[in-house]
Amino acid sequence: MLSVLLLVPIIGAAIVAFLPMGESKRLRQFTAIIATLVFAWIVYLLTQFDLSNSGFQFSEYLSWVQPIGLSYSLGVDGLSMPLLALNGLLTWIAIYSSRGDIERPRLYYSLILLVNAGVSGALMAQNLLLFVIFYELELIPFYLLIGIWGGKKRGYAATKFLLYTAVSGLLVLAAFLGLAFLSATPNFDYNSITTEGLGLTTQLVLLTLLLVGFGIKIPLVPLHTWMPDAYVESSPSTAILLGGVLAKLGTYGLVRFGLQLFPETWSLVAPGLAAIGTVSVVYGAMAAIAQKDIKRMVAYSSIGHMGYILVAAAAGTELSVLGAVAQMVSHGLILALLFYLVGIVEQKAGTRELDVLNGLMNPIRGLPLTSALLIMAGMGSAGIPGLVGFAAEFIVFQGSFTTFPIPVLVCIIASGLTAVYFVILLNRTCFGKLDNETAYYPKVLLTERIPAFVLTVTILFLGLQPNWMIRWIKPYTTSVAVNPTGLQIAQVETQK
Amino acid sequence: MNLAEGVQIVSFGILAALMIAAALGVVLFEKIVYSAFLLGGVFISISGLYILLNADFVAAAQILIYVGAVNVLILFAIMLVNKEEVFKPISGRWIRKAATALVCVGLFALLSTMVLATPWNLAAPITAPESTLILIGKHFFSDYLLPFELASVLLLMAMIGAIIIARRDFIPDIEAASSDQPLQTVWRLPERPRELTPTQGSSNQRK
Amino acid sequence: MDFSSNIATQLNAGAILPEGIVVVTILLVLICDLIVGKSSARWLPYVAIAGLLASVAALWLKWDATESLAFLQGFNGDDLSIAFRGIVALSATVTILMSVRYVEQSGTSLAEFIAILLAATLGGMFLSGANDLVMIFVALETLSISSYLLTGYTKRDPRSNEAALKYLLIGAASSAIFLYGVSLLYGLSGGQTNLDAIATALANGDGGESLGLAIALVFAIAGISFKISAVPFHQWTPDVYEGSPTPVVAFLSVGSKAAGFALAIRLLVTAFGAVSEEWHFIFTALAILSMILGNVVALAQTSMKRMLAYSSIGQAGFVMIGFIAGTDAGYSSMIFYLLIYLFMNLGAFTCVILFSLQTGTDQISDYSGLYQKDPLLTLALSICLLSLGGIPPFAGFFGKIYLFWSGWQAGLYGLVLLGLVTSVVSIYYYIRVVKMMVVKEPQEMSETVENYPEVRWSLPGMRPLQVGIVVSLVATTLAGILSNPLFTFANNSVINSPVLQSAKLTQPIAKAGISETSDRPIVQ
Repeated sequence: MLSVLLLVPIIGAAIVAFLPMGESKRLRQFTAIIATLVFAWIVYLLTQFDLSNSGFQFSEYLSWVQPIGLSYSLGVDGLSMPLLALNGLLTWIAIYSSRGDIERPRLYYSLILLVNAGVSGALMAQNLLLFVIFYELELIPFYLLIGIWGGKKRGYAATKFLLYTAVSGLLVLAAFLGLAFLSATPNFDYNSITTEGLGLTTQLVLLTLLLVGFGIKIPLVPLHTWMPDAYVESSPSTAILLGGVLAKLGTYGLVRFGLQLFPETWSLVAPGLAAIGTVSVVYGAMAAIAQKDIKRMVAYSSIGHMGYILVAAAAGTELSVLGAVAQMVSHGLILALLFYLVGIVEQKAGTRELDVLNGLMNPIRGLPLTSALLIMAGMGSAGIPGLVGFAAEFIVFQGSFTTFPIPVLVCIIASGLTAVYFVILLNRTCFGKLDNETAYYPKVLLTERIPAFVLTVTILFLGLQPNWMIRWIKPYTTSVAVNPTGLQIAQVETQK
Repeated sequence: MNLAEGVQIVSFGILAALMIAAALGVVLFEKIVYSAFLLGGVFISISGLYILLNADFVAAAQILIYVGAVNVLILFAIMLVNKEEVFKPISGRWIRKAATALVCVGLFALLSTMVLATPWNLAAPITAPESTLILIGKHFFSDYLLPFELASVLLLMAMIGAIIIARRDFIPDIEAASSDQPLQTVWRLPERPRELTPTQGSSNQRK
Repeated sequence: MDFSSNIATQLNAGAILPEGIVVVTILLVLICDLIVGKSSARWLPYVAIAGLLASVAALWLKWDATESLAFLQGFNGDDLSIAFRGIVALSATVTILMSVRYVEQSGTSLAEFIAILLAATLGGMFLSGANDLVMIFVALETLSISSYLLTGYTKRDPRSNEAALKYLLIGAASSAIFLYGVSLLYGLSGGQTNLDAIATALANGDGGESLGLAIALVFAIAGISFKISAVPFHQWTPDVYEGSPTPVVAFLSVGSKAAGFALAIRLLVTAFGAVSEEWHFIFTALAILSMILGNVVALAQTSMKRMLAYSSIGQAGFVMIGFIAGTDAGYSSMIFYLLIYLFMNLGAFTCVILFSLQTGTDQISDYSGLYQKDPLLTLALSICLLSLGGIPPFAGFFGKIYLFWSGWQAGLYGLVLLGLVTSVVSIYYYIRVVKMMVVKEPQEMSETVENYPEVRWSLPGMRPLQVGIVVSLVATTLAGILSNPLFTFANNSVINSPVLQSAKLTQPIAKAGISETSDRPIVQ
């Protein structure tokens, strides 16, 4: 069942790379068909998903390389299933939104399919080493995607991305090696690994390795410096994949391997994590306000929104974990829409400078529909009720408040700041008088609008009916919450 | 201590002194010809030590091969290429010399200490074998058969290698003319630096 | 020495059948070249390849032979040696594939090149199984002298001459040091040359803890480290690699190195079993230095061959982790890694050869924009380099994981962490080449690549090159994913070798020593 999600894109990538397919547009069609197939399969899996089962479903197991404890074991649960769907959707969007006349299309599309397979694999892997393989598998495709099809400083951005991510993979691998060895299991199977019986210091060291490793990927504030460069320099579709999908691997890993494998130690590091998350939120919002480049602004806003996930994961209550997963999905959708629209604005208007752009709302000469959708996306990102962002953030805040009241309050204030920079963004770009010199932007074609429509509809729908997202997550969260009552950590805090 | 032992010790002392003096001479003399001749002295002293150890065949082989062949070859090489070259004295050369001397003395001291301090696992008193030749032959055809045979391959290869390095090359142009490839692809050494390449052809030119 | 009639059974000469095939191939190559003349160059390489493959097949037949000791215990044909002999023979096979065109284009004769290469292979194979000090030394010298000859083979190239001279001088010195150390061993054991006998004599006598043994150990390790070019015995490597013909470099970096590791395992584990704590310590230092220096200096290289030279030093450091671990998993991870290293490194060298044949340069900057002119070369070189850097899902990743995993199990936390860090460094310089080839825009293409002639596979000698590239490409890509048989093979070769199993008895002591000496104690 699940292997389909790996095999189809990988075989598709091989076909795209090696078989002559003619021009770029046909390649894109073919790749889009494959992505559609994958997504359709995910939808089918969603319908088959047993909502009463909190464990792993559709499991597959194949003993692969015994001596190093590597097995090909896949499985999904309420944590990975929504992210899998997000991955499928965003890959489709990324392919569809790629420019038709892109250079070296065969390499490009095969890399995107490989990225899809890699992320799916990492989300499904039930073996720590298998996870690392898929996690590192992302490295080279993304390096090339940024390095070849990126903007002006792409070489610098790509190398920075590569080094940071390689270090991240290394730390995760080191932590897993330590985990598997110290917990005296002969293999890396997720289910057989447990941290019970490990000393507190050992657990803390391992958890720290994991936190730093995944923290680079998310990225958290002191480790984020690769991120604005990578997001800004990459093409819109790469940025969608980077921000919407790849960064989720970091938070996914944090919850899956940090929270779930270290339930005892987690509550010790949780206050620190919440603090870092809060700092990320505030820093992201502040930095976004200061930006003059709309893409960079969106990139920094992403740091802020990933911070919520961290706070929620740190709290570890049933509701907050639910919120964390929901926020992952909602952030992926909204960020993808933002990057996509910013990409269209850049393509049509030829600039991303906040000072140059204005009056895009002009119904005749501007980009009215794009601006309208941009406003919508901004609202979603700022957490306006009725959109998916609100639903997710609300659950996050509600779930974490009892545990970390002060960080959550700060986060709520910071989400107000989110509104500030989106107002700045929208006010400068969409409203005002359209300059006559730069007038008459090329029209946005209908085909170019489709990805934005799809994303917008999804955001709206999930915002109005969040239950459709939450029902798949719910069974999972009941099983993992390290802190079901939500008061434990707070009590520990006050006792100290 | 009987007479035989006394003679042995005395001759060992003489041989050892000779060998060390000659070896120092090899290293210290400025003129390379002196060094070469003194090297012969070292080899002869070593063969003397072999005789003291009852290894008459090895001693003879030592003189034949090292003095007769290797050393003579070295002398030939020196005399054929005897180009007088005046080397500029390097400033501060004595520092290097002193450092070398220090290292050598230190190594010598270390090895001497090692020789004296180590409890050597000596076999029972050795009686002189009737004929070392037979003994060596037995070894060659029993437990050292494989190295002995492998040595023949080694020598074959060394010979072939020596011939290859020494032989004169065939003239490239004939070969190139007879083949259908353009001249430059045949005779260009692939990774030679630019300045060494004769400027033929245009496909390989670079600034 | 009894010369009774049962000597034939004692000889057990069948154990060296694979080597015998190689010897016959050498003679065949030489004689055919003598009789037929120049025109034989068209098919002689295939004779040699057939001979080497037959030798590998013969090795396969010898797998798990009941009686592994041969030639009155002078040679040990156990599974461990079979694994290493197979690696050496295979590396020679691939080297011949890549050298046909190269040697022809450099205007030297092919038959002698192949003969000398086969002799080097023979030396390496014998070295992997040698169980006797004399045998070890003669095999070592066969390998070394053939390597010197190969290094200076393109004698009209001054850099090749320089490389050969450097290699010869340093190599001779290291051989002398090795011989000195080994002769001390002979003395300490009371006149034994057989490794097992030496081990017993040292264990029974009181020479076990002496200064003499320590010096013998240091000298022997110096000789071995020269062969595997471990820092600080690596100084010859970059110059020799840069100057000598590229196929030779390929062989030196894989075949010669594998033989050196085989020697290290057998000599140190057997004869120096009494001082295993000490040599574990020395090798830990060598591994640390090799990993750091090899990988860091490789960052600064501009020539492809020099970069690969330094990277091979770093790779040797990784392999040493498995050796220091000293467990079953450790040794088999070495074998596994060397097997994979064979394909990825030789693949990279084959690509470098193809590029230099086409353009006459090996500067990294000259590779820029290559993807437009030669996609196959770009793909193969990228994958081989990424695999060397340890990027999944290529074979190198699995090899490294196995090394690190076994090292970690043996408690070498510091070494493994250092290995992880330095492999990230190595990713950086490997990716630099990939970036040059793949990422550069068409307008950034180097002039060399602009003039890149179309590859004509139909030219004589190009077909083998193509086969070499494709084989190593496929092996590098698939050997990781389908690595289970290789793992089993490597494991069995260790488990079935009594040499390593008997050495286990001394392991607990050694391990205790290691966890103290490793720079990062267990976190509890």
